[in-house]
Amino acid sequence: MSLSRTLSVFLGCTALMACAPAAKQTATAPAVAKAPAQTAAFTPGEMVMRRLSGEQYQNIVADVFGPSIELGGRFEPDLRVGGLLAVGAGTVSITAVGMEQFDAMARNIATQVVSDKNRALMIPCKPADVKAADDACVGIFMTRVGELLYRRPLTEAELKSYIGVAHLAADATKDFYAGLSTSLAAMLSSPKFLFRQELVTANTDGTYSLDAYSKASQLSFFLWNSIPDLPLLAAARKGELGTRAGVAKQVDRMMASPRLEHGVRAFFTDNFGFDEFNGLTKDAVLFPKFSAQAANDAQEQTLRTIVDLLLKNRGDYRDIFTTKKTFLTQELGAIYQVPVVDESPNGAPDAWLPFEFAKDDPRGGILTQMSFTSLHSPPGRGSPTLRGKALREVLLCQKVPAPPAAVKFDIVQDTNNPVYKTARDRLNAHASNPVCAGCHKIIDPLGLALENFDGAGAFRTTEQGVKIDTSGALDGVKFTGAAELGKAVHDNPATTACLVNRLTSYAVGREVKDTAWLEALKTSFAATGYRLPDLMHAIATSDAFFTVAAPKTQTASAQ
Amino acid sequence: MAVGQISKSLFQRQFLTVLGGAAVAAATFSVPAQAADSRNFVVGWFTHATDSKDGDCPGGVNPDITIQYMKNLALLGYTPAQIEAMAKKELDGGDEIAEAMRLRGRVDGKPIEPFTYPETAIDPKLVSGIGKTGYGFDLDGKDGPNGYEDPLTHQKGVDNEMFRALGCMRTFRGSLQGRPTYWAWAWGQLLDSQPAWLVNVTGEDLTKDGEVTVTFDRALTHLRVNADGNPREDSTYRADPDPRSHNVYKGVLKNGEITIKDAGQFRMLQNPLVAPELNLSRAQLRLTLKKDGTLSAFVGGYQPWRDVYLSFAGPGPAYEACVTGDIPGIYYLLKRHADGDPDPKTGQNATISTTYYMEAVRAFVVPAALQIKPAGN
Amino acid sequence: MTKLISRRNVLRSTTLGGAAALPLPFLDCFLDNSGKALAATGAALPHCFGTWWQGLGLTPGRWIPDKAGKDYENKAELKMFDRYKHRINIISGTKYFLDGRPLETHTTGWQIASQGGIPTGVNSGPSLDSTIADTIGKNTRFRSLEISLDGSRASYSKRAGSASNPSEPSPLGLYTRIFGPGFKDPNAADFTPDPAVVLRRSVLSYVTDERKSMMSQLGATDKARLDQYFSGLRQIEQQLDIELQKPAPLAACTVPGKVDETKTGREVGEVVASNKLMSKLVAQALACGQTRVFNVVIGANGLRQPGSQQNWHMLTHEEPVDDRLGFQKETTWFIEWANQQFVDFIGQLDAMKEGDGSVLDRVVMLWQTDHGYARTHTMDALPILTVGNAGGRLRTGLHVPANGDPATRVGLTIQQAMGVSLKNWGLLSNETSKTVTEILA
Repeated sequence: MSLSRTLSVFLGCTALMACAPAAKQTATAPAVAKAPAQTAAFTPGEMVMRRLSGEQYQNIVADVFGPSIELGGRFEPDLRVGGLLAVGAGTVSITAVGMEQFDAMARNIATQVVSDKNRALMIPCKPADVKAADDACVGIFMTRVGELLYRRPLTEAELKSYIGVAHLAADATKDFYAGLSTSLAAMLSSPKFLFRQELVTANTDGTYSLDAYSKASQLSFFLWNSIPDLPLLAAARKGELGTRAGVAKQVDRMMASPRLEHGVRAFFTDNFGFDEFNGLTKDAVLFPKFSAQAANDAQEQTLRTIVDLLLKNRGDYRDIFTTKKTFLTQELGAIYQVPVVDESPNGAPDAWLPFEFAKDDPRGGILTQMSFTSLHSPPGRGSPTLRGKALREVLLCQKVPAPPAAVKFDIVQDTNNPVYKTARDRLNAHASNPVCAGCHKIIDPLGLALENFDGAGAFRTTEQGVKIDTSGALDGVKFTGAAELGKAVHDNPATTACLVNRLTSYAVGREVKDTAWLEALKTSFAATGYRLPDLMHAIATSDAFFTVAAPKTQTASAQ
Repeated sequence: MAVGQISKSLFQRQFLTVLGGAAVAAATFSVPAQAADSRNFVVGWFTHATDSKDGDCPGGVNPDITIQYMKNLALLGYTPAQIEAMAKKELDGGDEIAEAMRLRGRVDGKPIEPFTYPETAIDPKLVSGIGKTGYGFDLDGKDGPNGYEDPLTHQKGVDNEMFRALGCMRTFRGSLQGRPTYWAWAWGQLLDSQPAWLVNVTGEDLTKDGEVTVTFDRALTHLRVNADGNPREDSTYRADPDPRSHNVYKGVLKNGEITIKDAGQFRMLQNPLVAPELNLSRAQLRLTLKKDGTLSAFVGGYQPWRDVYLSFAGPGPAYEACVTGDIPGIYYLLKRHADGDPDPKTGQNATISTTYYMEAVRAFVVPAALQIKPAGN
Repeated sequence: MTKLISRRNVLRSTTLGGAAALPLPFLDCFLDNSGKALAATGAALPHCFGTWWQGLGLTPGRWIPDKAGKDYENKAELKMFDRYKHRINIISGTKYFLDGRPLETHTTGWQIASQGGIPTGVNSGPSLDSTIADTIGKNTRFRSLEISLDGSRASYSKRAGSASNPSEPSPLGLYTRIFGPGFKDPNAADFTPDPAVVLRRSVLSYVTDERKSMMSQLGATDKARLDQYFSGLRQIEQQLDIELQKPAPLAACTVPGKVDETKTGREVGEVVASNKLMSKLVAQALACGQTRVFNVVIGANGLRQPGSQQNWHMLTHEEPVDDRLGFQKETTWFIEWANQQFVDFIGQLDAMKEGDGSVLDRVVMLWQTDHGYARTHTMDALPILTVGNAGGRLRTGLHVPANGDPATRVGLTIQQAMGVSLKNWGLLSNETSKTVTEILA
């Protein structure tokens, strides 16, 4: 048996070892202001056990085994709780159908890892005899991979179990690699891989702290949406995450990594409900430009806008509602009716190009982007109500009650209505019903300001030949049109409070009710000029981020 | 002009000739002073302008290819009994007829393929049109016996001999609404790959009568279409700087219709899959700016008929059977009806009068002059 | 209990040679606690997949139902499906994307329909039926059967990087292949469990303790969630256990009498005759467990009426649109005739009775074409049909407009429904991860 050097380097590099490129990025990485967000008195929440999301699974496989590995399977739907799938992850399990897929993917991935093409790269040792079991070589491989997939070192019993599986399978198949593949597949479908379990140690004050490895996972899934890399695991092993300084050192390092963008994208994808694009349809007769590509590009446009503004330029979070800068493809250009000069050759996929709307253009800010206007519209029309509701719920964290039962929506839905020509007219007619009026009063004015964007996100100034009135008010602030609505949202204190709330809940996988911690974070967020990276840093270095209430049953460290 | 200003103008739904790399960083191109009102379009449908009607072919249209093949066999000297036997075998999966037709040319009595060398095939004397109406222009200034009356403008003496020549071929028959199968087929073939054609109309105020400049260019990328295959509005194209497809004309706008007389040459490169280029001399154009923001156009002139022939003959026997009909037959039709540019020695005309029809939707266009990189990059 | 004991023996003798002592827990999966899935015979009959490749599209305006969802009304070119309306789905409005590549008429469309994209080299494929056959057809005598009804060997079934799997054009040839000398009565044959399945089952037992150790560290709620995980795992164990048993007897399997030599060809009468014989043979092959995947090419190029030299394909180009009718009269005759052939084909599957139902109950068939409208070779507004629900794997009776989405959405959906593990399918713009959720059960 000989150790293969290439192999360990590959596994190491793809597996998040601090390789050269990561160091380079430090230069361009945002400077992080150290805003203290520690607070003495906070109320810790409960422990959560989170199911890996499909994207996390995908990221982990790419991080550990490289991007060429195909998953060959699909994921069961996630559940949104408190506005976030990340919180739902703490309540969902794995159904029989989902298990079947995890099982198939595990075998598929394991087969690729041990394939002739990949084995020399990915397996750091060679068996004495390829036709027989080799426990020592399996031990080396599974120890290494196990630490990454389980996000902690394997226990002796666990390692023994996986060596046993490989042995059994190698004997049965007379093939060392088939044995190894069987063992790896078993690990990939283990609940210890598929669920993120928090392990804790008791504090003197009756609270519990996440143990070192759980802390490492808490950090890496929040900041990178993937598993800890080797330096982070090493820090956990050496006890460095037991101190604030040790955590801060790792957080600084992690925030300087390009992987931070994955984490930021994952949060906003979740928070904005982009998974709902999967079920989004539009009437092709009314919205001929809407296409599968446009729907994908719409999400990417918003994420690029945000990453560019908040990460690359360290901008003010509130500016995502007003910025005139964005990125477009040809496909989106036709929808927004602006030129997008793509210099790609004929037939090439559309390129992404920076674009800036004029200062006084109503287009600008994420509310006017197709990812908002089309997602919150039914198939055949735009909907001020759905858009207003989404704005309140998603961006201001305000709950809008469900409509009462047995309400008639005929007038609202009749976009060809000869009397009520615009959506505003129709909603006014509908809301003359006092049962409806209360709610519509708080949601419609916001949505009506976006009526310059049709159900597929295209710009328009009239409806049925009548000029659209886009005036309204948000919590007493009057505005006309989408641009001023963006400004009103920008200035609304609920906007930043909502982000703090959501991001914190996203980070810990439960709805954070700890007002002391949230208040401290809000203060520090304001103090740093609403810089997202600083808020992430503050969350990641908070004691509360790693602290939970007394578990309801017996706990023990895995070790 | 800053990027922001461009956006603003566009918001006002002006279709600028020039837009400064709105997406490509901060290029600062300026709008030419004369471009007070300028609209860009991309061609979303192109066809030969046909106006087929019942009874416009003597004795009916030419037979479909299977019948025509039997007639051709007879011309080659096969006896009726032989032909019947071959047809019977054909029904059972034989391909004797197809084989005989693939090599129906004769040189010194030896079989040769007739598509590249059509004169080696016997002229099947296909019939041509005898209708009275046809789209186009009076190109020669004479209202001769072959002059059509244009059904829209009621212009008399319209020269569109290509319509007359092909007007009784099944797949070339059609109207502006009932698109001829051949042209619809050709369009479908090219739609998603051939660089699109662009039209620009510029004038003082296009809502009023006056002088205008009309420019035809070829784009660097193909037409973008909606889910239903219809051309997509508001897409952006870059004009190809290749001067061969750059045509600029002065015209007169009146009641929404632009007339261009004495346009000279009209030349656009095409995809060789159908025809390498469209090249018209003594061209005339008529364009309509429609209320719905789209544009339609007739472009007429004299076209080298051998080019037209080769565009049909290029794909060979397979297309003869399914798309065009008897290809050497078409050669003789075009040759017979050619009506322009006689050879001083033989008297044979080298060009044929024709008119094409196109429809276009609004688009954003970066003019060739502003292309930073040459074509192909 | 006898079953359990015998299975233990199988495990030892076939894979492990007694080398390893396997901890085999009591397998509660042998208890029939899930009703139909583990009926008296031991397992549900296997689900099957078939394709019907019919070129030349349909006619715009003559097939897309006005209404989406349920309770739509079939238009002229799909009227013949009325009888099976509750068992089919119509997916309208999808598209083949060319990504700037030239359209090779009657080729490109097939490539995208069958392989999910335009091949980027000789190393093309596989077609979706091959992927499905690799998933469900491994243990049958024929991984798949390809037949054509027009006497040709045309086929769109392709394994990765290889030539296409040629079609069997002759009913007698098909009979001989299935029921000739190589045929073994499935109900009489010996049973040897697949060693790979034996191993998977053993491993699941082996790692149970390692996995269960997590339980001790969880609160009640999370324990319940993990319980669900374990019941998911148990279901996999049950499936494997079923695969380790001798399959259920195929009660409907009867060996048909030999078919006569027939003349095959492109004349409609010959196609009808081939369809009659071959659809029945396919139904019998499914009933006898000889294959679970089949591909049918009706053939389009050259199909013609008796005595006429003009064929369907030629008509699509040459026949003028009838001014009064608004469509090509003779061409649409062929379309309706071909669709009727498909109805007759599924009728034969339905006529093959099995227990309370028929073979069709456990089949999904996919009807695809190369162009939306053959006259102009359009690549959009494509018609796609699915027939059957493969034992409840699909919802049926629906018209789903999928306007402008890649046609590969349907291929992806069907592959997933048939158990192929894949998240997305197709190349470039034809790639999609969006299934037709409306029809997925």
